[in-house]
Amino acid sequence: MRSNTIGWLLLAPTLLILTVFGVVPFVYVLVVGFADWNAFAADPTPHFTGVENYRRLVFDDQFLSALWKTLGFGFFAVASEVVLGYFLAQLLMKDVPFKGFFRTIHTLPLMVAPIAVGATWRLLTVPGLGPLPYYLERWFGIEFRLGTYADQAFVTTIIMDVWHWTPLVTLTLLAGLATMPKEPFEQAQIDGANKLQIFWHITLPMLKPTILATVFIRLMDALRTVDEVWMLTGGGPGAATRYVGLHIWRVVFPKTDYGYGAAMSLLTLYLTIVMCWLLYAALVTRRELPKAE
Amino acid sequence: MRSRAGTRAAIAAASMLAAISTAHADFWSDAAAPYKGVTIRGVSESTPPSNYVKEVLGPAFTKATGINVEFEATSWDQMYDKAIKDMEAKTGIYDFVYIEQDIIYSYLARDFLVNISKALKDDPKLAAPDFKVDNFTTFINYFKNADGDVFGVPMEAFVKVYLYRKDLFEDPANQQAFKAKYGYDLAPAKTHAQYRDIAEFFTQWGKDNDQELWGSTVQAHTGHPASWYEFFESWGPTFGVYNWGINQDGWGATVANGGSMNGPKAKAALEYWLGLLKFAPPESTSSTWDEVAASFAAGRAAQGLVYGENAAWIATNADKSNVVGKVGVALPPLEEGVLQEAESGKGYIGYYDGGAFGIPYSSKNQQAALLFLQYIGQPSVQADWAVAGSRITHQATYDDPKVKDMDAKTDGYFSLMKNDGKLFAGAPPYPFHAQVREATAPFFYEAITGELSPSEALDKMAAAAEAELKKLGYRK
Repeated sequence: MRSNTIGWLLLAPTLLILTVFGVVPFVYVLVVGFADWNAFAADPTPHFTGVENYRRLVFDDQFLSALWKTLGFGFFAVASEVVLGYFLAQLLMKDVPFKGFFRTIHTLPLMVAPIAVGATWRLLTVPGLGPLPYYLERWFGIEFRLGTYADQAFVTTIIMDVWHWTPLVTLTLLAGLATMPKEPFEQAQIDGANKLQIFWHITLPMLKPTILATVFIRLMDALRTVDEVWMLTGGGPGAATRYVGLHIWRVVFPKTDYGYGAAMSLLTLYLTIVMCWLLYAALVTRRELPKAE
Repeated sequence: MRSRAGTRAAIAAASMLAAISTAHADFWSDAAAPYKGVTIRGVSESTPPSNYVKEVLGPAFTKATGINVEFEATSWDQMYDKAIKDMEAKTGIYDFVYIEQDIIYSYLARDFLVNISKALKDDPKLAAPDFKVDNFTTFINYFKNADGDVFGVPMEAFVKVYLYRKDLFEDPANQQAFKAKYGYDLAPAKTHAQYRDIAEFFTQWGKDNDQELWGSTVQAHTGHPASWYEFFESWGPTFGVYNWGINQDGWGATVANGGSMNGPKAKAALEYWLGLLKFAPPESTSSTWDEVAASFAAGRAAQGLVYGENAAWIATNADKSNVVGKVGVALPPLEEGVLQEAESGKGYIGYYDGGAFGIPYSSKNQQAALLFLQYIGQPSVQADWAVAGSRITHQATYDDPKVKDMDAKTDGYFSLMKNDGKLFAGAPPYPFHAQVREATAPFFYEAITGELSPSEALDKMAAAAEAELKKLGYRK
């Protein structure tokens, strides 16, 4: 009984912080999501409208378009980061010259604030000033106009995200690779398995929990990306990079449509949770299989 | 660079302090005595006039009063984001905020701001002897309510002016080639057709001379409201499209409902403006007002509509501008009849921009902030500030020798503002300013990228504006 009390006392600060900064804002957003509330409406007070905001969302082309673009962005960015991160992690497992130096340099982007990453990429890509448009045009004849061509802007946001976050993937996969036992690999080599077979039947299954956990974290991050893209393209050209986080920001802050923005936030949170749950289910299923045997 | 700027700021602050009379210095120390040691916080957009407040006026005020000033000069978006959140949540973080002319109606509608006239009347001890509302230009009227009470002390005011490269325009070879091609003399454009011809001519000139020069700046960012503003506040009016094409009687935007957002003038204006993109530097679709000024200062455009707050440094600051001594100033090109409408008060020819500092009701240091606002509203600080930021808020500042000197260096920018400022206008008095802009801007961006034709974009924008106005409860 006494140890229970001490336990609760020790937990109390954490619970208090979680309640104040987690539960209360969540409940607040939940409530606001059921209201029609714009700070600059003729009547700026909130009005309860039930599920009207959610009904609007289903037919809102701009929101749905932002959602699809975000999913595309998340898929391509995270997939690229995992593939690239895996190869870099494998490289760092080997004894290559300047390994320590490379690992330090490679990790540096992680320490840069997203807004600074966006600003840096903007300076790199703005026509007339940035080196990227200059050399792409000079060497390859490519007219690189981030403010004009939607596909260029979309791809650039992905490359920027890959540049920023691949080091995280590399580090986590490197940790996963480093903890793998050597025996299965030695046995496979004795049995005559080639590199692809070793990768497919040993490395990948053993690394899967690490990969899924990494994808889990990165996907959540990618789906709520705002600052980098806001700085680089502002969501343009047109709506080409107006990802859902940026769209919600525009609806909530410049447009001050608090009720609708809250509903969008909650729906996006719900979709993120569903996707992460699917990944989690895949992870747990894989772990449970040996038990069933 | 930073240390040079700091030294300049210190010298300016010291000379300013010396300029303020002893009697008035007594007022500042006496009136501020109860607030000595207090820190007031403000937020503004990072512009030349704001940076002058941060580097010069803030420190000078602290020296005179003992009240500390923390001044945040940030991006336009962030400034609004922070100020509105603070006032909406009544957190009291900021003691003074920048109020751009176009947002004052929204702030007044929400009762966000302290009534400065009333506050000074209620507490005469805080009323500075030098601060007189009558000293200001008529721009202060934008910051008054229906009763004539002031809610913001103007800190910057300027017109979006037509800048052109005098050196290129006055070059005899260019004049000859232009006349041979177009059949009339090369001179600052008075009509849209002339402006387009000049843009085409200098774009070709850049190609022929292997120089990075284009015919016109275009503020056409495809994901930032700057492009939307360039159209509705600068180019639209030159075609006779006023107040964003919204009919203020019934809040209609479509032609069918009495508006003109998708009317023939607006469609012609948008088609024309988009047509300028082929004569604009490649960075134009990523350009806000800052990049437009930078492009012109870098010598990458022969002409353009540029916010006046940048005119002085573009024309005179060799550290930042490649076109010092080469800048000409003129009124924007106009469609026939627009000038007459502006002169008769029925329309306007461009954007008279600016802003004021106001005190949020949520401020915990209203008295100290009130003193600061009066300090920056004194006549004695205006001339140096005008020279540093090409802004004028006091009528008498036009006649100051320093300003006259700068006027000559900027090809008469200040004279143009003084004589023809009345032809320009600020944003219409809409409390739903940002809401309608945000509702319509996505279609506008799609017009720039070519996903929508000008006509389709304006039809969609007018419909979206009306839907938003209905949702907000303004349109029945």
